[in-house]
Amino acid sequence: MSAAPNRRPFDAGRAAYLALNALLLAFLLLPIAIVLVFALNPTPYISFPPVGVSLRWFEKFFGSAEFMNALWLSLWVASVVLVLSIVIGAACALALARGNLPGRAVMTAFFMSPLMVPAILTGLALFQAYLLSGIGRPVWGLIAAHTLVAVPYVIRTTLAVLHNFDRRIEEAAAVLGASPTRVFFEVTLPLIRPGVFAGGVFAFIVSFDQFPVSLFLVVPKGETLPVVLFNYMKFDLDGAIAAASMVSILLALSVVLVLERLIGLKAYVKL
Amino acid sequence: MTSAAIKLDQVTKTFDGRVMAVDAVTLDIAAGEFFSLLGPSGCGKTTSLRMIAGFEHPDSGRVHVGGKDITDLPVHRRDMGMVFQSYALFPHRTVAENVAFGLRMREVPRPEIERRVAAALAQVALTGFESRKPGQLSGGQQQRVALARALVVEPPVLLCDEPLGALDRKLRQQMQFELKELQKRLGVTLVFVTHDQEEALAMSDRIAVMNGGKVEQVGTPTEIYERPRTRFVADFIGEINILEGGGPLRALRPEKIRLVAPDGARLAGTVETANYLGGSTLLRVQPTTGPSMLVRETHAGERASRTPGDAVGLTWNDSDAVALES
Ligand SMILES: Nc1ncnc2c1ncn2[C@@H]1O[C@H](COP(=O)(O)OP(=O)(O)O)[C@@H](O)[C@H]1O
Ligand SMILES: [Mg+2]
Repeated sequence: MSAAPNRRPFDAGRAAYLALNALLLAFLLLPIAIVLVFALNPTPYISFPPVGVSLRWFEKFFGSAEFMNALWLSLWVASVVLVLSIVIGAACALALARGNLPGRAVMTAFFMSPLMVPAILTGLALFQAYLLSGIGRPVWGLIAAHTLVAVPYVIRTTLAVLHNFDRRIEEAAAVLGASPTRVFFEVTLPLIRPGVFAGGVFAFIVSFDQFPVSLFLVVPKGETLPVVLFNYMKFDLDGAIAAASMVSILLALSVVLVLERLIGLKAYVKL
Repeated sequence: MTSAAIKLDQVTKTFDGRVMAVDAVTLDIAAGEFFSLLGPSGCGKTTSLRMIAGFEHPDSGRVHVGGKDITDLPVHRRDMGMVFQSYALFPHRTVAENVAFGLRMREVPRPEIERRVAAALAQVALTGFESRKPGQLSGGQQQRVALARALVVEPPVLLCDEPLGALDRKLRQQMQFELKELQKRLGVTLVFVTHDQEEALAMSDRIAVMNGGKVEQVGTPTEIYERPRTRFVADFIGEINILEGGGPLRALRPEKIRLVAPDGARLAGTVETANYLGGSTLLRVQPTTGPSMLVRETHAGERASRTPGDAVGLTWNDSDAVALES
């Protein structure tokens, strides 16, 4: 006769841990839920309980040329920033981790710590610098500014991977006949790629959501989505704002999912 | 497979201008030899090996392989095989891709790569594991992949840095046999780094015992064990009794001592502890005067007969007590 299966004894600590997790998750997701309710609500003000479901605010958002121009500008600026930041950030991280630079310990500590300069100061400083040097406010100036703010994120995630990197793996490739260049492309790059792309996701979102820096550097008719939304909110506070927020959230989410599909961000978590 | 002789000529390496990792080491390793660098942690074994591989450049002295001075040749042009203690497999590549890597770097045609990878994997009994990733293999299997990856390019020289260090005892012993057998069959010159004296004695044609960056003694396992030249070598390899009194120190192995009746023996004393080791028992005997002695009692027939408290006599042949250099 087989014995009755053992029941797992009740574990109060584990139950408390799960409850806390659920609570924190709810705390993080609640604002998004509220925005979603607001976006689907037919009335132009928040009402609870919702009086119905409608897509009119989404229609208004997608139907507005001003919103659409801003969305496209934001999207392609963020895409260029993504590419620039992963190239520059990965190169900087490699130089910091591998190069024999003076003061690299200080610089590494600086980039690894939470970034301290408020973005609004960065925006103001760049605005004045552009003005004084007669550059004006071209789109590439905006892209350069976003890249400046986004690069440290890539440096940070790449440094984290490089920190755990077993250099014997590169040495193994070298003994097997790989020149330094081949070692880099065959071994180093594939192994740091998850860290670089994880930073790239941050870079994209930092640019796409960027408000304080953009505020100083956009020109009329060439405003990014967060700036347009801000200006819109000064006069109207209706569901179009909520619809725009939902679209932003979904776009950011899809960038994460696409990168996860392409290169597997999970690998980065495991490292 | 071709094999090459290795010669280290007065090779010295310091780190940060202070740590003398390798101090004027001269070694002559014959082609096809299984040669071990043996010594405690930090004695400079890895640094010596890394200078042969080309990862470290000696401060002074030259490295020759196959009669050529390769001191200034970069790593990737040295045509060597190396197995690391951590295996250092490419985690993002399959087993087959790992093994194929060196052939790919040598621009071997694709069909030949496939044939040689299959043969190399068969050689280490890993046929069928081609498409696994290293993370899906056990330690012993990863070890074998590392070996196949190094040997598939048929290097004249194979360097191994404590390659069996991470394996458990049983597997380790099995791999010792396999590695030794493979090395003899291929005829490759193998430089093997280990801090495990049993492993070095079991596998090597010759051993260099290192201490503090210097080579203390080079010899066959029998020479190293039976005729240690310095106190350090005598102490480091196996158990030893150091005899003092008149002239140089002498080293006497516990199994060279015979247990006899206390009357008329060279030394009379009492058994203090008896450690049963299976095939033998290691006794610590406290003589009436002088330091305690280790005595190995082997069990050909029945098992241990002496127990703590027994009065015993010790005797040995003078020729078994080896004079040490001071
Ligand atoms: N890259 C390095 N930088 C500084 N010191 C090192 C380096 N590599 C080895 N050493 C030092 O050199 C000595 C010999 O090291 P190593 O050759 O690794 O010894 P072993 O392999 O015999 O344990 C040790 O004191 C070690 O701390
Ligand atoms: Mg070592």
